[in-house]
Amino acid sequence: MSNDLYRLVYYSRNAIIGDAATLAAAITSILTWSQVNNQRVGITGALMFNSGCFAQVLEGSRSAVEDMFERIQQDDRHGDVSLLAFDPAPTRAFENWSMGFVGASIEDAARYGVLVQASGFDPARMTGEALFATLHGLAIEEEYSNNAV
Amino acid sequence: MTVASHHQNFVRERQPLQAALTEMATAVLILDEDRQVEYVNASARELFMPVDPIGCTLSALFASCGVDGGDSLFAAVNVNAEPAQMRLRFSDERLLDGTLRQLSSGGFVLSMDDVTTYVHNAELAERDALTGLANRKALRDRLVERLAVAARTGQELAVLFVDLDRFKAINDTRGHLVGDALLRKVAERFKVSLRDGDVVARLGGDEFAIIQSDAPQPTAATALATRLVDLIGRAYAIDGQIMHIGASVGIAIAPKDGDEPDVLLKNADLALYRAKDAGRGCYRFFESGMDEQMQLRRSMEIDLRRALALKQLELVYQPQFDVASKAIIGFEALIRWHHPTHGIVMPGEFIPFAEEIGVISAIGEWVLRTACKQAATWPIPLSIAVNLSPMQFRGGNLAKTVMSALERSKLPAQRLELEITEGALLDYSDDVVNVLKLLRNLGVVVSMDDFGTGYSSIRNLQKNSFDKVKIDKSFIRGINTSVENQAIIRAITSLASTMRMKTLAEGVETEDELSSIRAAGCDQVQGYLTGRPLSAEAALTLIESAFLAQAA
Repeated sequence: MSNDLYRLVYYSRNAIIGDAATLAAAITSILTWSQVNNQRVGITGALMFNSGCFAQVLEGSRSAVEDMFERIQQDDRHGDVSLLAFDPAPTRAFENWSMGFVGASIEDAARYGVLVQASGFDPARMTGEALFATLHGLAIEEEYSNNAV
Repeated sequence: MTVASHHQNFVRERQPLQAALTEMATAVLILDEDRQVEYVNASARELFMPVDPIGCTLSALFASCGVDGGDSLFAAVNVNAEPAQMRLRFSDERLLDGTLRQLSSGGFVLSMDDVTTYVHNAELAERDALTGLANRKALRDRLVERLAVAARTGQELAVLFVDLDRFKAINDTRGHLVGDALLRKVAERFKVSLRDGDVVARLGGDEFAIIQSDAPQPTAATALATRLVDLIGRAYAIDGQIMHIGASVGIAIAPKDGDEPDVLLKNADLALYRAKDAGRGCYRFFESGMDEQMQLRRSMEIDLRRALALKQLELVYQPQFDVASKAIIGFEALIRWHHPTHGIVMPGEFIPFAEEIGVISAIGEWVLRTACKQAATWPIPLSIAVNLSPMQFRGGNLAKTVMSALERSKLPAQRLELEITEGALLDYSDDVVNVLKLLRNLGVVVSMDDFGTGYSSIRNLQKNSFDKVKIDKSFIRGINTSVENQAIIRAITSLASTMRMKTLAEGVETEDELSSIRAAGCDQVQGYLTGRPLSAEAALTLIESAFLAQAA
């Protein structure tokens, strides 16, 4: 059934050329449009930018996820897209996120993204499950701290 | 003539005109000077159903069926006092060509012809129905136009041919619906890669072409080809599954690679061929000389297709021996091609080509039948090993062919040994495993050829439970001086014996190598030292002497 819930996890290399401000602006734009479009088609998920890589989880109906992924594939702002998982999922893990940004703030990620490589977080070396777990963990942390405020 | 008869004549003359106006296929509306409809014929009434046009203004009538442009028709008529023509698009996709005339008696007449089918057919003739891209005919028409412009302006123009790698395999294994969905996504990716003014067409199957004009060459074509290879090579999510294809691109640039449309298209195709030959997933520009090479290939293709019929193929037989007893245990059948002008062609040279042009199944079947028939004539029941191409596993006829070859030759299945390379296990692996299982159930021996080269997956050994492993000659070469090679061969033989498989060392050329492989625990040996490939007659002589020795 194409209405069943599916989850897709990928990472890709940043292809946006420019200084930290340009990169931060581009990420903000990506995020804004994801949120606008995802709400309409019932997609939830999280985006992270780190070490010059985008990592993203998309969840929604199979056809919505496939359409969204196709649009992502056609996007020039990244390359070397590695699809780590695309499977049926029992429930949504990002119920309240039309597309959350997790990890450091966008500005910090854009400014220090390249430096973080040394710290050992490398999405290219992670399985789909591990990447999903990382993003999910960060999302929960974020939700918790937002609620705490 | 009385007044009454004059009136009768008038009525008689008017009646057919009236009938024609009422019943003609063209929709006719007569409007008064206030642009209100005062008459409609049957076609017009039908056209606007369920709205009754009488008494409506034309604008209101048009609005009721989603047509824009009523006012501009009137404007055009008033300015020129000539008929105004316009194509009207109804909201239900009907298309009508309308003509509005001012009548000398005051008011207007609007005639409308339904051109929906005509326009649709014309569009279809220009479009590929599956992807909506231009088709081959439209591409060629545009190319003729663009070349004419380029010739005038002195600008360069690029034609890119694009072929999808691995599309056929996906279409075959996942079905046409998935294949069609994939092609539509590919078409979308083409569209996002192009600039306004570029033309992209689907030529059929998985072949596409692009015309790129008004851009500096070859830089623009290089950039586009790079982008296409990247974009089309990105994964696709379709039907809940992930699939990967690639793109190969061939580029020809006018005027340097030709200024005639057909020459340019052919040269882009030649360059594409070169890109595929270079391992796919890349692009190549046309170069002079490609044409001659292609012609050479074509003539070789004709020769190879005829080789079987002209009986230019021959099998030779290389003996295999038991390492411990030194007794002959069988032969491997090897193919040679006696080319009328090139002399003897070795399988390494022509088998990949035969696989490419699709004659491998016919050749493979001939090898199988000939080898079985030959082995059946031998006085002692030695084994006969035959090489299989991965391609022979496609099409699903292999098991049937093997059974038929055994039946016709009366060779017991246990004497036939089929050698497959690891490459065969990579593609179509489930099919391959099932066919192998079927063959082994018949009693046929299955061995893994060239073990240690390529993707040497030990899992393959486990999964497929082979009867024999043939250790590649690259490990035998230099075995006496290489501790590593000795260790590798010992590991393979001990692994094989645990899994109850025999091992055979290929390419043994010296006594030292023979004693090394014996020490490493190999069961069998084949190579120039123990015997070169022999003709069928020479092989028979060898077998007869072995038979006599055995009897003595």
